[in-house]
Amino acid sequence: MTQTLLEFRNIVKRFGGVTALDDFSMRLGRAEILGLIGPNGSGKTTSFNVLTGIYPATAGQVLFDGQDITNAAARAVYEAGIVRTFQRSRLCLPLSIYDNIMIGDTARLTGSLWSNLISRKRLHGQIDASYRLARDLVGSFSGHLADRMDQPVGALPMIERRRIEICRALISGPRLLLLDEPSAGMTHDETHQLMDDILAVRARGAGLSIIIVEHEMGVIERITDRCIVLSYGRKIAEGTYAEVAADAEVQNAYLGAD
Amino acid sequence: MDFGLIAQYLANGILLGTMYALVAVGFTLFFGVLDVIKFSHGDVLMLGTFIGFTAWLGLEAIGVANPWVQLLGVLICSLGGTALIGAAIAKWLVLPLKKAPQLNTLLITLMLGTAIREAVRLFYPNGSNPKAFPALLPDAAVELGSFSLRADSVILVLAGLGLIGLLNLVINRTRLGLAIRAVAQDEETARIMGINYTLVVLATFAIGSGVAAFAGIMNGLYYNEINFGMGLILGLIGFSAAIIGGLGNLYGAILGGFLFAGLQVIGAALLPFASAYKDVFAFAVVIALMAWKPTGLIPERSSDRV
Amino acid sequence: MTDLPISSPASAARPWAAGAAVIVAAGVYAWALLMAEETWQVTGLLALAVAAVLAALKTGFARRLHQDWSASETRLNRLAFATLIVLIFVLSDAHFALLMVATTLLYFTASMGLNIQFGFAGMANFAGAAFFGAGAYTAAVLGTVTAVPPLLTLALGGGVALVLSLPLLLPIVRTTGHYAAVVTIAFGVLFRTFLEVNEILGGPQGLMVAPMRLFGWDFNSAPVIGGYEMSFYVNYALLAAALAGLVFMLMRRLERSWIGLHMDAVRLDETAAACFGISVTRTKVTAFLMGNAILGVSGALYGMMISFIAPASFTFSDSLLMVSIVLLGGLGSLWGGAVAAAIVVLLPEKLQLLQEYRFLLFSILVILVLLFRPDGILPRPMRSFFASRRAGK
Ligand SMILES: Nc1ncnc2c1ncn2[C@@H]1O[C@H](COP(=O)(O)OP(=O)(O)OP(=O)(O)O)[C@@H](O)[C@H]1O
Ligand SMILES: [Mg+2]
Repeated sequence: MTQTLLEFRNIVKRFGGVTALDDFSMRLGRAEILGLIGPNGSGKTTSFNVLTGIYPATAGQVLFDGQDITNAAARAVYEAGIVRTFQRSRLCLPLSIYDNIMIGDTARLTGSLWSNLISRKRLHGQIDASYRLARDLVGSFSGHLADRMDQPVGALPMIERRRIEICRALISGPRLLLLDEPSAGMTHDETHQLMDDILAVRARGAGLSIIIVEHEMGVIERITDRCIVLSYGRKIAEGTYAEVAADAEVQNAYLGAD
Repeated sequence: MDFGLIAQYLANGILLGTMYALVAVGFTLFFGVLDVIKFSHGDVLMLGTFIGFTAWLGLEAIGVANPWVQLLGVLICSLGGTALIGAAIAKWLVLPLKKAPQLNTLLITLMLGTAIREAVRLFYPNGSNPKAFPALLPDAAVELGSFSLRADSVILVLAGLGLIGLLNLVINRTRLGLAIRAVAQDEETARIMGINYTLVVLATFAIGSGVAAFAGIMNGLYYNEINFGMGLILGLIGFSAAIIGGLGNLYGAILGGFLFAGLQVIGAALLPFASAYKDVFAFAVVIALMAWKPTGLIPERSSDRV
Repeated sequence: MTDLPISSPASAARPWAAGAAVIVAAGVYAWALLMAEETWQVTGLLALAVAAVLAALKTGFARRLHQDWSASETRLNRLAFATLIVLIFVLSDAHFALLMVATTLLYFTASMGLNIQFGFAGMANFAGAAFFGAGAYTAAVLGTVTAVPPLLTLALGGGVALVLSLPLLLPIVRTTGHYAAVVTIAFGVLFRTFLEVNEILGGPQGLMVAPMRLFGWDFNSAPVIGGYEMSFYVNYALLAAALAGLVFMLMRRLERSWIGLHMDAVRLDETAAACFGISVTRTKVTAFLMGNAILGVSGALYGMMISFIAPASFTFSDSLLMVSIVLLGGLGSLWGGAVAAAIVVLLPEKLQLLQEYRFLLFSILVILVLLFRPDGILPRPMRSFFASRRAGK
């Protein structure tokens, strides 16, 4: 593995009596694409939630680029360069595509009360520039979405919403992207199309690392460098997709979960 | 400060606490089964008290003079009527709004409370003036030094605490209670288990409203006066009590009710400048408590999944 | 905004004509309604309004109006303001009508403050009347100190409301949902009880408020232009219009700024907002303080205008009335708030019959609106950073 970007050290997360993550350790290299797989309820989403500061870890440490970010606030995690999508899409449905994507670029676009309300020259400049930037990014996923930047997201079908959610995550130029079941609610073809788009974006921006949670094994096989398999919060296997797929315990976990 | 005065404050605090707890449990029960706040609770209580008062007028008119019989009649009409009203509101206003945003339900029931209050003020005969509620309980009192223990307050407190105990039994020991708890925990599962969801919700609202009406009658019997605005303040206090205790938890509501009464009494007894500030003090402490325990003293189990 | 694809709507040659017509008509209508004295006149005018709205919806005129507004918003807003000023001068000696115009404007301004909280940031505030009252009491107390210029008093009315909000910030940002509601409810009750028992502030009887003065001009004296004497309420109506216009502009700018976007994001999904670096705390604090300051300023001017205030005007029910304006108009909808404020203030005054029933009436009205038209009478248009959006597309 190349240089380590992210490291989990013995992370434990309990919800009352449920142990969602049980002594989970892992590393992610720079520019690596890691697949995080496992049966339902095995703790995949929880590991994202602990990492992004939504839930505090019960025990353990998270290191990002050498910094201890265990239990950092969601905002600090974002500022460190970690962004995510959600398993159940969480866009602001009444807002336009443009507005939704701008929510992802808070780091650059905030400013004081004064510059927001009184002397707005800089604000207008930012709006112009960011509009162009957002349209280009959306355009790299779907040309026809880029022509509809002012339309509410609520009117779009699922696949388009996923794209917007990914654009919202990418607009700030992050270092680590967490994708939680991006293909949920999509057809096979749509899923592969989405993956192509993600890979294309990644090819442009150097060094973006990705952790992807996915049930669609075809996707995992195609795009990941390495996989980690969780079962009941424990890591039961690690390696390339071919390796973990051949693992007896992994097969057992998937069969046992059904 | 002498013993008599302290005892007086204590007795007063217990009476108020019982009353507030009776109102607060309603808020908590409703929240338990439906995850909504029915803010009209206080005004429904007021309506119930007016029903009881009207029943008394009726009994007087037909010549029933025995105070115990009158009391029984008042309680039956008031509690029964209020239970029906509570269930009706649940059926036609709260249940249909189950999917609406929290704020909308809160606002609709707030406005419903206003509508009930105004309707009583405008349409009850001479409704904008206070009514003299009859003293139906014995007015004997035991003197202990400077402290006089009124028989009626003892009876009221015992009855109130008895009702809270009974409610606790119903919730924890009966089939209905089991159903209510099942619905509160997980509506879907409860439905699958064959529980008649709507019926349980309506029963819960009926019970909660009836219990609140009891608090209203208590209020009337103790102060011998009722008015159209009594529900607003009792509702506000009951809501605050349920919240500082922690929503969705019977003990939290009882704790909150007694805590609020305790604050008022402490405010009245100890504030050096003026006891008139007792409510200011009590509500200020409520605000401070919310800063300290943002989900109440006994927090509900949060289930906000991401 | 050079290369933004803003094109004018295809359907309209003059993409403001319908809007302008409606504004002028509304001005004339307001004049007629304000001057109507007989019940039959008022009822007739109300029926006319209902008929006009229905007709507009049926004929598609409402859509055209909507398009105009998206295409030439700034221009139409200016025209509306000018019409308001003309209306005030036309009413010049109608004492009572001007009082109502000014009251409507101040309630509208107050409701804009509440709208930052309810409509933008999604925070409940059930102590609106308390912060409004804080401004009015500030004006009353400072009015006795001649050294304080009244214009500064207005600002200080907002300042005091802001200072009173400070102790609430911690509980407000830590709580959510019903738990947050109890904080402002408790504060509202506390504030009113405090006024009632506090002798220095006049107790239940309340206080007198000194009138507004500006550049040595006493607002309680009647202005005379060219030998023609007008009601002194012209002063207040003009100042209230200026205040409302200013706050309206501020609200528009807020809506079209990053801070406004962050408020919307926090309202719609707090967790997602936090994951993208939006400070939920900072956003809520901003909304709470800004809103309450606006309430305080409008309360201060209101106090000066009615010259006598008492705790009974700043009760929980009054807070609910203000919330009603916000909800009737539509959460986050500025023009909706203006229409709703007019309804809430004017209706009971014009139909004396209703005066007694107004709380009942409005509570039922709000219930109906929330049940059947939860976005209000004039729903908030989709937010946009641009004053003129591509219409119709
Ligand atoms: N907020 C919460 N409160 C209580 N338990 C939770 C919470 N979030 C997750 N859990 C529990 O933690 C365990 C792991 O859940 P998690 O959502 O991480 O699974 P997952 O691997 O993402 O599953 P899926 O593939 O279904 O998305 C489950 O047993 C779940 O019930
Ligand atoms: Mg998951």
